[in-house]
Amino acid sequence: MSTTVILYGTESGNAELVAEDLAAELEGEREVSVYDMSDFDVADFDAENFYLVVCSTHGDGELPGGATPLFEALNSERPNLSGIRYAMFGLGNSTYETYSQGSEIIDRRLTELGAKRVGVYGRHDACDGSLPNDGAVEWARELLVLV
Amino acid sequence: MHRSELSTVNGELAVFAPATHSIAIVGSGPSGCYVAHFLRKRWPTSEIVIFDRLDLPYGLVRYGVAPDHTGTKAVARQFDRLFEQSGVRFVGGTEIGRHITVDQLREAFDVTVLATGLSADRALEIPGATSNVPRATTLPAGADVTGAALAGIYGSGRVTRLINGHPDESANGVVFGSRIAIVGQGNVAVDLLRMFLMSPEELRGHGVADEVVNAIAAGPVRHIDIVGRSSLSRAKFDPAMIRELARIPNVRFLADPSELHDADTEPRDSAKCDALLNLLAAASAASAVDGAQNTDAAAGSDRTVRFHFGWVPERIEGDDTVEALIFRSADGIQSSFRLAVDSVLTAIGFFEAEDAPVRRQAHESHDSDLDIGRLGPGLFCVGWLRRGPQGTIPANRTDAKMVADVIGAAADAGEFFPGKPGFSGLNLPTLNCPHRPRPHDL
Repeated sequence: MSTTVILYGTESGNAELVAEDLAAELEGEREVSVYDMSDFDVADFDAENFYLVVCSTHGDGELPGGATPLFEALNSERPNLSGIRYAMFGLGNSTYETYSQGSEIIDRRLTELGAKRVGVYGRHDACDGSLPNDGAVEWARELLVLV
Repeated sequence: MHRSELSTVNGELAVFAPATHSIAIVGSGPSGCYVAHFLRKRWPTSEIVIFDRLDLPYGLVRYGVAPDHTGTKAVARQFDRLFEQSGVRFVGGTEIGRHITVDQLREAFDVTVLATGLSADRALEIPGATSNVPRATTLPAGADVTGAALAGIYGSGRVTRLINGHPDESANGVVFGSRIAIVGQGNVAVDLLRMFLMSPEELRGHGVADEVVNAIAAGPVRHIDIVGRSSLSRAKFDPAMIRELARIPNVRFLADPSELHDADTEPRDSAKCDALLNLLAAASAASAVDGAQNTDAAAGSDRTVRFHFGWVPERIEGDDTVEALIFRSADGIQSSFRLAVDSVLTAIGFFEAEDAPVRRQAHESHDSDLDIGRLGPGLFCVGWLRRGPQGTIPANRTDAKMVADVIGAAADAGEFFPGKPGFSGLNLPTLNCPHRPRPHDL
């Protein structure tokens, strides 16, 4: 049975809360599991599942600390991810030139390894101090109708 | 034997569930809120109470982050959910160590976590700067600091609290003048720089109180020197903080080119160097345009900021108030230089005030293991109070996660058991003292 796996990479915790809200929204209608990218083993990527990736941006357009272990594992183990489908939701702040670039780093690597991104690349801009949660839930709703 | 209680799930099924832990957290800044978040994830039904001496929660997020950094302040929206959705209780206006002792908390709660941070400004230990704040370090031999502190020296913590409306701070008697020196090269120093370059309208737009806006606007600020002992390569500010400065209108950024190209043996941090060099280049290009097209001095581009690298503050001169700040070169090659200034803002770090009502040391014993945040049975510390004044808000999230895991492991190992009464077990009459506001919930 296909599971919707929510992977979050966070620095200050916002992406974690988005992941929790997505899970709460989707549970009941589908099988959902949530992982901090720090706790996710690259060997567990499964073409049977669909991945919702939520990732913030840290500092100067870098990956958030929580995404670094997974990114490094992808680099060193170079798993073949062909057949893996995922959707991406990036958090950032457009006050900075590096808006939302953290998620793009992980997105590029997943694509290079053969995974296929589907649907709209979701983004939230925190420049007005708003929380990304509602926008992310709406994004996931629209996206999951299609996949 | 664990105390057990009857609980119902979905109103259908009655089961014996293990009793839950009661948890008191002292301090509602980022570390306290994050540790509440991780403990709530571990124990969904435990009683979690966060105490704060102030009426409003969030500590450093509310009072220590520059008001224009709304993205950083937005973490408060995350913490709101603790109190609105996760059943964590906020008890403000209640100072642990004064109204309730830590021991009283430990009697009432299974777990007590100290998360009071470090809020005292580290002071410049040089003649002219001795002040009424406690000293962080011992003085170098022969340093003459017996004189009274001059007026016009302000720590970054104090200034940031003032700008953010902290109830302990007042703009009475605060004079910044038109020439300001900022001592420090970290992100806090750059925060100060940005705040003092904001227009009164911008400051008001960020909710800064009129008397504080007036204190800043009274100068008005014409020139700021930002000085530190490190070379550009080793300065601690982040490149993004420097790039942000380029958006400030009507100001020229300057530096002595000889101070930018140091013979540092460390690999150059190119992003940081590029950020500053770009800022200086943009400023000089803009002033060239100004020179060609606009000779009107009233245009407002006469504000200047000068970066200085490799200078150590030596003394502050003045009669009663600051008149000049004297530096010697960090490499000892050049002599010294003198800045005529109206005020000195220090951004050189934080430490634990000697009069802080909760002091970590008072709770340390042979039984403590600070590396994991354990002070004693059922007593823990987290964040800056645990590991010192290093790291940003996300670093304290990581710290809180670690300490929450340690607390969970200690519970699993049977170091403490559920069973204490929690908030209802506190001896509340001590809080009904007529001089103090009653504790109240958020």
